[in-house]
Amino acid sequence: MTISFPRALTIARREYLTTIRRKWFLLTLVLTPLYFGGVMGLSMKSQVDEQLRSLRNFGTLGVVDSSGQFRKGRSEIRTEVTADDNPFEAANAAARTATDTTASAHVIFSGVRRYPGQPEGQQALRTGEIQQLLVIPADYLSTGKLRRYMMHSSLFSSADDRPVSRWLVQALLAGTVDSTRVERANGPTRSMALYTLSHAGQFELNDSRRELFDFMLSFILGMLLSMCIVIGGQYLLQGVAEEKESRILESLLCTVTPEDLMIGKLIGLGGAALTLVGAWVLMGLMISTPAAVIVRAQVTPPLLLAMLAYLLLGFLFYASLMTGIGAITNNMREAQQFAFAFTFANFIPFILMTKILAHPDSSLAIALSMFPPTAASSMMLRLTSSAAVVPGWQVALSLTIMVLAAIGALLAAARVFRVGLLMYGKTPTLPEIVRWVRQG
Amino acid sequence: MLQVFDVIKRYDGRAVVNRVSFEVQPGEIFALLGPNGAGKTTLIRMIMDILKPDAGSITLDRRPIGVETKAKMAYLPEERGLYRNVKVQEALSYYGQLKGLKVTDANRAALGLLERVGLKETANQQVKALSKGMQQKVQLCTALIGDPTLLVLDEPFSGLDPINVQLFEDVLQERRAAGATVLLSTHQMNKVEELCDRALMINRGHMVLYGSVRDIRQRYAGHAVRVRARDLPTNIAGVSSITAMNGEHELTLASGTAPTAVLRALLDRGVEVESFTRAALPLEDIFVRVVQEGIGLDGGESGPPTVDQPVGSGVAR
Repeated sequence: MTISFPRALTIARREYLTTIRRKWFLLTLVLTPLYFGGVMGLSMKSQVDEQLRSLRNFGTLGVVDSSGQFRKGRSEIRTEVTADDNPFEAANAAARTATDTTASAHVIFSGVRRYPGQPEGQQALRTGEIQQLLVIPADYLSTGKLRRYMMHSSLFSSADDRPVSRWLVQALLAGTVDSTRVERANGPTRSMALYTLSHAGQFELNDSRRELFDFMLSFILGMLLSMCIVIGGQYLLQGVAEEKESRILESLLCTVTPEDLMIGKLIGLGGAALTLVGAWVLMGLMISTPAAVIVRAQVTPPLLLAMLAYLLLGFLFYASLMTGIGAITNNMREAQQFAFAFTFANFIPFILMTKILAHPDSSLAIALSMFPPTAASSMMLRLTSSAAVVPGWQVALSLTIMVLAAIGALLAAARVFRVGLLMYGKTPTLPEIVRWVRQG
Repeated sequence: MLQVFDVIKRYDGRAVVNRVSFEVQPGEIFALLGPNGAGKTTLIRMIMDILKPDAGSITLDRRPIGVETKAKMAYLPEERGLYRNVKVQEALSYYGQLKGLKVTDANRAALGLLERVGLKETANQQVKALSKGMQQKVQLCTALIGDPTLLVLDEPFSGLDPINVQLFEDVLQERRAAGATVLLSTHQMNKVEELCDRALMINRGHMVLYGSVRDIRQRYAGHAVRVRARDLPTNIAGVSSITAMNGEHELTLASGTAPTAVLRALLDRGVEVESFTRAALPLEDIFVRVVQEGIGLDGGESGPPTVDQPVGSGVAR
C-alpha cells in the first residue's frame, strides 16, 4: 500500500466536512433520537395507561360459585397500584420530591356480586350490571378450571387477572388462616431479595433496576456499534458508489493513489458516522446519568476502554468491507444489496441476545465473541452483562483477532478497491474478487 | 519529458497494450491516436499511474511514474465528472490541495484559472447550477490547477461550441509555451493537424504510426501535387488529371513522372506559379487507411521502437 497521509487527510477533511454540513446529517442527528425516544416513550406510556385503565375500569366482578369453596369471599376487591404498574407516575413523583415519603401506592376498589347460576350472571354481564363474570365449577378444587366471561377482551385484559386472583386466594383461604397468611399467599415471593456474585467476587444484593440498566447499557452500546456500522457503511457505500457512478474517480486517481482515497474516505466518512453516534451517546448520557447514579451502575474505565476498542475495531472491519463493496458495484442499489448481506452478521448477536445474556459464558457466546463479524457486538453484550465474568484472556484474544481481522479487511479492501474502481458495467464474481485480493 | 518504454498490459492473457514506446518533450503537444478499443485509455491510465503496466517503464523527467510524480501530472478524462453539490471554487481548490497546494494558494489558483476561462463570477455558485459547457471548462481547470508539467487530455473538445474550442486551444498553446508536456488523445484529426507536433497511433495495442504529423502526412501523400497558379493549362505533360479545390488544383501525376518535372514544365510554359507542394493526405484519411488495411500490425523487422533509438516517422516496426 502506498499512502500519502497529507493527501489522505485532505480527502478525509473534505469528506467529513461535506457530510456533516448536509441537511440530512443534521436532521438525522436531531430527529433519530427524537423519533425512537418518542416512539418508545409513547408506546410504553400507552401500554401502561391501557393497563391502568383496564384496572380502573374493572368495575364489578360477577361470581357464580358452584363449588361452594368461595362462600367467604369478600364483596370488595382491593388492588394496589404500585410503581411497577406505573413507572411514569413513579418517575414524576421522584422528580417532584425525593423526600416525599407520603408518596405511596394508591388503591383501586372493585365490587363483587354473586349469582346463583351462569344464565343470570351472563344476563347481568349483557346489561352492564357487572363487567366480568367468573364461573367456578363444582370440581374446581380437583381440576383448578375456571371460566371467565367478558363483553370484549384486549391485549391488555391480562391486567385484570391480578384482582381476580387476589379475590380467589382471599376467598379460598378465608376462615382457615389469618389475614397475614392470606396476604403472603397472594404474593409469597414479592419481597424476596436475590444475592448474586458480583464482578468483585462478593455476593451482593441483586438490584433489578441495575440489572435492567446493565441490560439496557449493553443493548444500547451494541446497537450504537451497529448503527455506526450501518450509517458509516452507508456513507462509505454512497461516497464510493456515487463517485464511481459520476466518473469523478478517474480524474481523482491521477492525483491520488487508491489507497489515499480509501484511507481518506474511511477516516472522513467514518469520523462523520462516529460524530453522529457520539452526539447520540452524549444526549443519552445526559438523560441517563441521573438514572445511572440512582442504580449505582458500574461502568469502570477498563470496561469503557474495552468497549471503545471494540467499537473502533468493529467499525474499521465493517467499513473496510463497505469500501470494497462500493468499489466493485456499479450503483447504489447494487451496493446496498451487497452490503445487507455483510451487515446482517453484526446483528446475529442481537438475535441470539437472550441466549448470550442468559449464558454469557456459554460456548456459543465465546465463539461469537471470537468470530470477527460478530465479535464486537457479542463482547459488548457479554462485558456489560451483570451475569458474566469474562476472563481477561478471552478479551485479549478477541481483541487480537479483531485487530488482525481489521487489518486484513483493510488490506483486502485496498486491493479490491484498486481494481474495482475503474471497472464499469459488470459486477465481478466472487472468484474474481478472491483473485484480486490474492494477486493485489 | 515523458518517456514510455516497451510497455505491455495484459487482461486475461490478451495484450491490450503491446510493447509501446514513445517520448514526449517539454513544450510539445503530442497526439495519441487510435480507433475505439485500440488501448489508448489503458495506455493513458498507465501513464497516469492509475494502472500498473505488466512490463516496461514509464518515466516523467527521468523519474518513474508514481506517488512522487502525481502532483506534476494532470488528466482530463473523456468521461468527466465533478462534485455537483459544492461551490465551483471549492471543487477546484480541493484538486489543488490534493496536488499539494496550501488552502490559500489553492483558492487563489482556482480563482485565477476561473478568470482565465471566463468563469470568475461563478466561483461561488454550485457546480450543478452551471451549464454543460461551463462544467467542461471547470473540469479543464481541475486539470490545470497546480501547474502540471504533464497534461493528458482525452477528447477535450467534444461537446464544446467553437468559441470554447478556441479557448481550450489557446489554453493548450499557453501550457506548451510554459514548457508543459501535453498529450492529447482525440478523434478530431483536424485538431491534431492544427495543434500537434508529433503523433502516435496505436491499433489493437500495437504502435502503427509514430512521428511528426508533417512527416506522417508526407509519407502517406498520394502521387500528386498541389498548385496555386494563374491560368493553369489543362494539358500538362506527365499529369493524368487535374482537380480544382479551394482555389488550388491537385494534379495527379502519371506513373514515373517526378514532381520536379511537372514544375519545370509549368515554368517553361510561362505559368506564374504561386505555390507548388506535394499533396498530403488529410490525417483522417491516413487514420482510416491504416486501420482498415491493418497497416503496422504485422510485426515488422526492426523490433519494438525504443526511446534511445526513436522510431522516427512512418510506419512503426
